[in-house]
Amino acid sequence: MNKEEILQADEDGMFTITLSVNGELGQMIVSRNESLVEALRHYGWKGTKKGCDTGDCGSCTVLLNDKPVLGCMMPAVAANGGNITTIEGLGTVRNPHPIQEAFVEAGAVQCGYCIPGMILSTKALLDRNPEPTEAEIRKALDGNLCRCTGYVTQVQAVNIAARKMKALKKKQEKTAAKEAEKAARRVSRKAAKKNK
Amino acid sequence: MEEIKDAKDLKVVHTPGVKLDAMGLACGAPAYTDDVEFPNMLHAKMLWSPHAYAKIKNIDTTEAWKVPGVKAILTYKDVPRVPHTTAGQGYPEPSPYDTYTLDNTVRYVGDRVAAVAAETLEAAREAVSKIKVEYEVLKPVFGIYEAMEEGAPQVHTEKDSKNIPDAKHNIAAKFDFEIAPKKWFEEADYTFDESWTIPYLQHCALEPHTTICYFDNNGRLVIRTSTQVPFHVRRIVAQALQIPVKNIRVIKPRIGGGFGSKQEILEDIVAALALKTNRPVRLEYTRKEVFISSRTRHPSICRIRCGVKKDGTITDLELGIYLNTGAYGSHALTVMMCAGSHVIPMYHVKNNIKFIGRSVYTNLPVAGAYRGYGATQSFFGLECMMDMMAEKIGMDPVEFRKMNYIRLGEGSPVFKAMGEGREGVEQFITSTGLMEGIEKGVKEFKWYEKAKKYRKQKGSIRRGIGMACMMQGSGIPEVDMASCTIKLNEDGSFNMLAGCADLGTGADTVLAQIAAEVLGVKHTDIVVLSADTDVTPFDVGAYASSTTFISGNAAKKTAEKVRDMILAVGAKILDEKVENLHLEDRKVVAKSGASCTLSEVANTSLYYYDQHQIIASASHYAQTSPPPFQANFAEVEVDTATGKVTLLDYVSCIDCGTAVNTQLAQGQNDGACMNGISHTLSEGLEFSANGTPLNASFRRYKIMSMNDTAPVRTFFIPTWEPNGPFGAKSVSEIGINGPLPAISNAIYNAVGVRMHRAPFTPDKVLAALKEKKAAEQAE
Amino acid sequence: MNNIKYYAFPSSVADAMNILLNRKYKALVMAGGTLVGKAIPATAETYLDIRNLPLKDIKVKGGKLVIGAAATFDDIDNSELCREWAGGILSQVASQCSSQLIRNMATIGGNIARPHSFNMFPVVLMCMGAEVMLETKNGKILVPYASLSQNKNLKPGENCIILEVLLPKKTKTQTFEFIKLAKTKSSWESYVTLCFSNEKKNPKFVVGALTPRPFCAVEAEKAFAKGAPAEEILQKFTAAIEAVKVTGYRAEAATNLLRRYLGAE
Repeated sequence: MNKEEILQADEDGMFTITLSVNGELGQMIVSRNESLVEALRHYGWKGTKKGCDTGDCGSCTVLLNDKPVLGCMMPAVAANGGNITTIEGLGTVRNPHPIQEAFVEAGAVQCGYCIPGMILSTKALLDRNPEPTEAEIRKALDGNLCRCTGYVTQVQAVNIAARKMKALKKKQEKTAAKEAEKAARRVSRKAAKKNK
Repeated sequence: MEEIKDAKDLKVVHTPGVKLDAMGLACGAPAYTDDVEFPNMLHAKMLWSPHAYAKIKNIDTTEAWKVPGVKAILTYKDVPRVPHTTAGQGYPEPSPYDTYTLDNTVRYVGDRVAAVAAETLEAAREAVSKIKVEYEVLKPVFGIYEAMEEGAPQVHTEKDSKNIPDAKHNIAAKFDFEIAPKKWFEEADYTFDESWTIPYLQHCALEPHTTICYFDNNGRLVIRTSTQVPFHVRRIVAQALQIPVKNIRVIKPRIGGGFGSKQEILEDIVAALALKTNRPVRLEYTRKEVFISSRTRHPSICRIRCGVKKDGTITDLELGIYLNTGAYGSHALTVMMCAGSHVIPMYHVKNNIKFIGRSVYTNLPVAGAYRGYGATQSFFGLECMMDMMAEKIGMDPVEFRKMNYIRLGEGSPVFKAMGEGREGVEQFITSTGLMEGIEKGVKEFKWYEKAKKYRKQKGSIRRGIGMACMMQGSGIPEVDMASCTIKLNEDGSFNMLAGCADLGTGADTVLAQIAAEVLGVKHTDIVVLSADTDVTPFDVGAYASSTTFISGNAAKKTAEKVRDMILAVGAKILDEKVENLHLEDRKVVAKSGASCTLSEVANTSLYYYDQHQIIASASHYAQTSPPPFQANFAEVEVDTATGKVTLLDYVSCIDCGTAVNTQLAQGQNDGACMNGISHTLSEGLEFSANGTPLNASFRRYKIMSMNDTAPVRTFFIPTWEPNGPFGAKSVSEIGINGPLPAISNAIYNAVGVRMHRAPFTPDKVLAALKEKKAAEQAE
Repeated sequence: MNNIKYYAFPSSVADAMNILLNRKYKALVMAGGTLVGKAIPATAETYLDIRNLPLKDIKVKGGKLVIGAAATFDDIDNSELCREWAGGILSQVASQCSSQLIRNMATIGGNIARPHSFNMFPVVLMCMGAEVMLETKNGKILVPYASLSQNKNLKPGENCIILEVLLPKKTKTQTFEFIKLAKTKSSWESYVTLCFSNEKKNPKFVVGALTPRPFCAVEAEKAFAKGAPAEEILQKFTAAIEAVKVTGYRAEAATNLLRRYLGAE
């Protein structure tokens, strides 16, 4: 058996795990009894919330290898080797992600406690299904409870986010095409020079 | 200055202005109570009572102290015994003083027994489990009617509690009111006597109750807490722990929802632990603890006796409301009073009116403030009764309602007779869009088309429609007060210091919009800080739907004072008369066309000439509480094989005067309605025979998810409330009162059974259908 | 996780079995962890995480639909193969489990490893006559799902690992009816779950959520096969439910749903 595929706790029940959070590779020392959301908050990622600790409210949603999971239902040690994205990894106030912009524009942020989880679930949805129907939105976000909004503005927010991301993708494709064209011209100019 | 009287003249108010804190929250800013850590912070855990009613004979903490890392263990012997109420209300609080920080009697499963502070949460938990308590278990009482009977166990026998009207019969509050010009039911063609009940319901705000207490550099106690009532926290903690108000500072960060559950002072025990250890102490309730040991809605029995004539006149109305206030009487009087005062005035009653209110102690979780606040309980009964009366006399329920609701300019003797703890205030309706709301709802909901479609149905799946109308209040007249401070900065921006408590409602943004309207700027030019008892002026806090109407008016008055100061300086700069100046687009503008920027005014006043800070404060309390109005329409599908009720459509037409922030106002109403739909079809705390809650988790107490029900469709009926800031009334509570009666009426329309007991879960509906079938076969 | 000393995440089934069968480790297999994760027994000292094992595939092999034990509810919900097999019933069942976040984590293997009234798949697998492939200390074995819980020697997660769930070839074109009756869509606990098949020769009326393991209403199935009148079938069905000490609403609603299925409303 591969020695690298088994971790041992120290005498206090602490594990040292290696993982990447928001693109940053690092180590965490976590208790065997600690859940992923507790470990993330302990290490300063306060955007992920704990609302119920039983996997029923979704406030603790994070992306694990791009898939939304419940941070309270996973022991921190099981995140070893994983790529975690928290809400902080999506965007900042100075440089927000289109989904964060969409939620603000739609007026979908009231008390805000469910929002990090809701936004990460939205990201996973739109990555998989860029133009979801209302039924698909409601199903994909059914694990993120909200007591403030009645969910109406949040569905609107997802639709706005889908439009923004579509537009962004188009823009990126256009820019990429332009760059490719430029590069091709440079190559042919170089070749022409060479031939002289 | 021309006073704006029409919403179309508004520039900042009545727009979907961006919520000032939204982007930060959407990016995961560490803005909530628990998002900050303090060096040397201890973690607290509570020991809760396993018995519904018991005396503590002995507490032995020896073993608990042996757990490494334990720094404090408090029992009733270690804290002052000061009778107080935990209700976050104005002083003197209209609730019995029947609670103690720690007591030697426990009165419900989940009552406080002891508190531990330790270096780690694990150590605290372990220590709690090692505290040995010897109880003398007493016989508890759980039923509302049972608790009032002669010889029932008495929940409060202690001599030092105050303001309990009748402890022997477990009465925490009572009120009787009657106007009887004629003999009861003398003119009625038909009479009715029906009751409706709701169970224990919990707010389920996503953020659990969290408090961190620490000390500032001068040894003052700082309470950083998730609260709706920072000023009441300061005063009541001072009272309970016998320390001066001067030595306490309460800071309210961003809150993850409250809905009334955080209008309660639970911080005293955390403060006591901090004072004992001289270190920061953090207490975060688990979800289970929030369900059981924070606060809930008052379970209730609403009994209505009334009479109606064939021509549609309601002749007499007797409303009896019997509330289970649980083990302590927090909000016992005021919820009971609102169950009458926010409800009865809506109806035209020709002859006699009677209100019977009782709030009863039982050995069950403590009920407190919850959105709707008594009106929820009463409207369930009254709006179902409206349908029953209409059906009896063969009248269209829409027309019957239009005939019998209060109109513009009308008043009600109930307004003066029933205040919240004091006598009320006479009122007349100064704005109402109720009739328009009914019309709009009928149209958007396609009421008559659906009624026609569902008149003849076959098969085991049936659809039906129902409606319900309601009113609420906007703050408590002559009781609630708010104040605000605004100052001008060099670049023409402003700081607003507001005592009001934004619990996610967007109050900060709403107040900024109101001030910005007066000051001629964008609301994003105003930086709002709320609330901090050292820095912001007084505000009762977020409850009674008072924020827009009262805190908003305080912000408006403050902005007007600041405007006057700006114009005075502008007059000097432009050499114009003040009367010829106004504020617009971040400038002082003269009739002549000359102008100067706010920045110029600021720099002049701060640095150049007659130096002074442009700053002002103002307070506001209201003499009225103009009700918002709402018409609700529900369409359901009932599967008669399983009793499952599915909501197909829900329309809510709300008159809140001017919606200050149209997006946030809609969100408030959508959320309130969804909360009501959820407790209509799904929610309810269940208890074992000995009073232990059985489903205190989101796993088993289900609140609606995004995929569980048809969306709410909110429509605004614009009116102009002359007493409100730019015509505004309140918006946040009223929506929660619609679903229970609207859906109950819809179920009756679909399958002919009336649901009188919430929630309308499939088993209850199927049982009602069976009963109906059996009754029909018996005939 | 008070006594957990090791966290193992092997990438081959052989390695996983070595840990599982090695007494030193006292290992417990964990997949999504949504059911057992918060209640790991004190006897377990190794958290044996199977997330890296090659058990996620969904394919057709030898005519049977083969679903890897580590396939999540979300995987099954979105799998084209599952959506087309037996009228899409497996995807339907997966989509009705709890919430999206749970569906992203919970696996079919975890859903059948231990009897629990919350489990969604057992009632359908029993109805469809599924089989389960397990890795044991003696190598791979294939057992009918219905007999898995009766075999005292097989303790999935403790002394063997579920590798695959297999659906028989003939079920590809059959139709089944699955009903989850619960308070809300995302409820973990249901009033009742049902899976029906009206195949003349092999009718199935399987009832879940009332007991830790689902059961077949055998007498009712026999009555249906014999062509008995609906009321007789329903009476026998109710009796089967009452035999597990469930009466009142749940028995009534389940019977009404069968009545509807039989077209006898």
